[in-house]
Amino acid sequence: MRELTVVEAVREALEQEMERDSRVVLLGEDIGRLGGVFRATDGLLDRFGPQRVVDSPMAELGIAGIAVGLAMRGLRPVAEIQFADFIHAAADHLIGEAAKVRYRTAGDWTCPMVVRTAYGGGFRGGPYHSQSVEAFFAHVPGLKVVSPATPSDAKGLLTSAIRDPDPVIVLEHKLTYRAIKGPVPEGEYLVPIGSGSVARKGSDVTIVSYGMMLHESLAAAELLAAEALEAEVIDLRTLLPIDFHVVLDSVRRTGRLCVVHEDTRTMGLGAEVAAVISERAMEQLIAPPVRLTMPDVGGIPVADPLEDALIPNRQAIVEAVRSLVHRRAWTHSRPLTFDPSIPEATSVVEVTVEVVKLHALLEAVSRACGEFPNLNAEFAWDGIRLHPQVRLAVDLGPLSPPSAEGTFTVIDYGPGSSRLGIPSVRPGQTAALRVGAPINGQVWLALTVDHRAVDGADAGRFLNRVKQLMEQ
Amino acid sequence: MALARFLDERMWRLARSGRAHFAVPCSGHEAVGAGYAFALRAGFDFVAPHYRDLTAMLVLGLTPREVMLHFFGRAADPCSAGRQPYAHWGCSRLRIISLQGPQPNHVTHAVGVAWGSRLLGEDSVTWISFGDGGAQKGEVHEAMNFAAIHRLPCVFCVENNGYTQSVPAALETAVPTLISRAAGYGIPGRALDGMDVDAVHAVAVEAIARARAGEGPTLVEARCYRYLPNTSNDDDTRYRSREEVDNWRERDPVMLLRAKLGSALADAIDEEAITTAADAAEWAEAQRPPDPSGVLEHTYA
Repeated sequence: MRELTVVEAVREALEQEMERDSRVVLLGEDIGRLGGVFRATDGLLDRFGPQRVVDSPMAELGIAGIAVGLAMRGLRPVAEIQFADFIHAAADHLIGEAAKVRYRTAGDWTCPMVVRTAYGGGFRGGPYHSQSVEAFFAHVPGLKVVSPATPSDAKGLLTSAIRDPDPVIVLEHKLTYRAIKGPVPEGEYLVPIGSGSVARKGSDVTIVSYGMMLHESLAAAELLAAEALEAEVIDLRTLLPIDFHVVLDSVRRTGRLCVVHEDTRTMGLGAEVAAVISERAMEQLIAPPVRLTMPDVGGIPVADPLEDALIPNRQAIVEAVRSLVHRRAWTHSRPLTFDPSIPEATSVVEVTVEVVKLHALLEAVSRACGEFPNLNAEFAWDGIRLHPQVRLAVDLGPLSPPSAEGTFTVIDYGPGSSRLGIPSVRPGQTAALRVGAPINGQVWLALTVDHRAVDGADAGRFLNRVKQLMEQ
Repeated sequence: MALARFLDERMWRLARSGRAHFAVPCSGHEAVGAGYAFALRAGFDFVAPHYRDLTAMLVLGLTPREVMLHFFGRAADPCSAGRQPYAHWGCSRLRIISLQGPQPNHVTHAVGVAWGSRLLGEDSVTWISFGDGGAQKGEVHEAMNFAAIHRLPCVFCVENNGYTQSVPAALETAVPTLISRAAGYGIPGRALDGMDVDAVHAVAVEAIARARAGEGPTLVEARCYRYLPNTSNDDDTRYRSREEVDNWRERDPVMLLRAKLGSALADAIDEEAITTAADAAEWAEAQRPPDPSGVLEHTYA
């Protein structure tokens, strides 16, 4: 498939929709002869004439209000607000009018209009050419808000927006216009409004983002992969209404959520995503949700080091995800790690070693398991099922939680952990061993067994065998 | 005009006695509404009305019962199904553009409607009425400027009653007549006596013909007066004297029309109007209120 930049994809969507539907008209500053300051309307004046491509006076409120009127009259206006920073002047007609026309008339009048605007920082635009405005508009029932990150979504979402029966704000991140290039279907192409997508599969953490931050999130995911952390990256694509189905589906698998956006923090989109996830998937969360955003700052400064200090980037995302992975929710219990119906008994033995070498420990446990098969088994009401092989599930702490697989669990949280910890027997097993932190050449081993399968004498013999093997 | 006056007085009493939430008087503006509405092709031309244009609404096809359904916020309210307060007109069937709360945002919408009519190849005209208070707002400039640049088929009509709720004209504008602004847009301006329905009608016919012929918008200023307070929540004794109100009664547009018609005909009209207004109020008040189960509907398609 041929490749386009985001701005070329926007232009193609406009051209194809104007070709298809004579009711589609364009209105905005510098969109005619100049073709838009970003060239999103390049050539459209020549193609469709000055009745359908109108250079407006520099009057954002008028642009929005006239677009409302065109839409009420049955046309399909696409207004361009040159920079999102200028959209505040138009807000009365977007928030107060476009969003309410259908409701206040009980559907007698409607307002199928589109406002496209270039948002976002990173190109040294200063406080009035860099803002992100999504939270203002994503708060308004009656509007829809989309923010494509890729050329194909830019075309597909804009096409859907133009055909939508309600007002749609299309937020185009100005850095994506030329920096992001990708395959775009040539003919009619629609991406449904209200559908997010999985931009990268992963199992350890869910990063939710959109716009330019999606690309930073994808880059961060590659860096995290080098640390054996697989991040799933969700591209929201539509910010109102958010596709919570795709976010929930992901977080229920990963147990961790990190929302990344360039808009400021307080009352931002990340708060809404975190709230909904907390309401609907608290039980699946391993750690509290994390938001990585622009700080609550009074403006976006123009000087390179100042702007760079503010806008989230891939390194900041990596660090946020690392901190997330090291945190645990206070109420967490991992599925399949604990079964309260198992009657447990714990024995402790002291081993004399300077340091615990993991491979030596695992070898000792493996040998002991072979010698005491009741501890490498599963209790069932019709008898004890011995596992034919020894497969150790090793839990080295939050960074490497144990797999659900395994016939015996070994827990070693290392020198920084507590001296004595009582392990729990996991379902499908009959015993678990926890190694405490070594102190003065002494290490305490705690063994917990399922009392229905292992009696105290065998547990003691097993522990002493492990001690003996470790001290050799 | 007589019907509008009697409906107006009835609504005022109903609101003040607590049987409805909100009244917005039209008394004193009747000639403006009637004058322009009779100059339009009802149901073909678009109207973005002033909230005091009850007379125009009746001329254009809203029935007295429909007006009262809107006033009482009943389920069958044709303007908003009980979602907007009284005098927020709107009816797509009659091409009455939905009127919003913040004044006068509909001016800008109507410019878009006028442009849309041209794009759709239809020679309908859009009449745009708003108050002298609304005329001071920045977006009116944006809207008139755009309409003038593109010679859009519309008419801007300021219904100047001399007050923005309590603020007198002297604190709204430094110019004695608002049509002096027309020159700033390169369009004609016509000032007229808004208490004289024939004067309004004559200028409206001319401005509408000009718009329909593709010669662009006209700014009309109709001087009138509001006899009652701004709304049922207003107390006009705090900002204007009774003498002033009484002096304007000499120019009461309904009385001026009565004089033209002769008292026999006028009395007959009044008699019918009183009955119609009473029936409309009684009937509408008894109609079904909106069902709360639909309160979330129509936020989106």
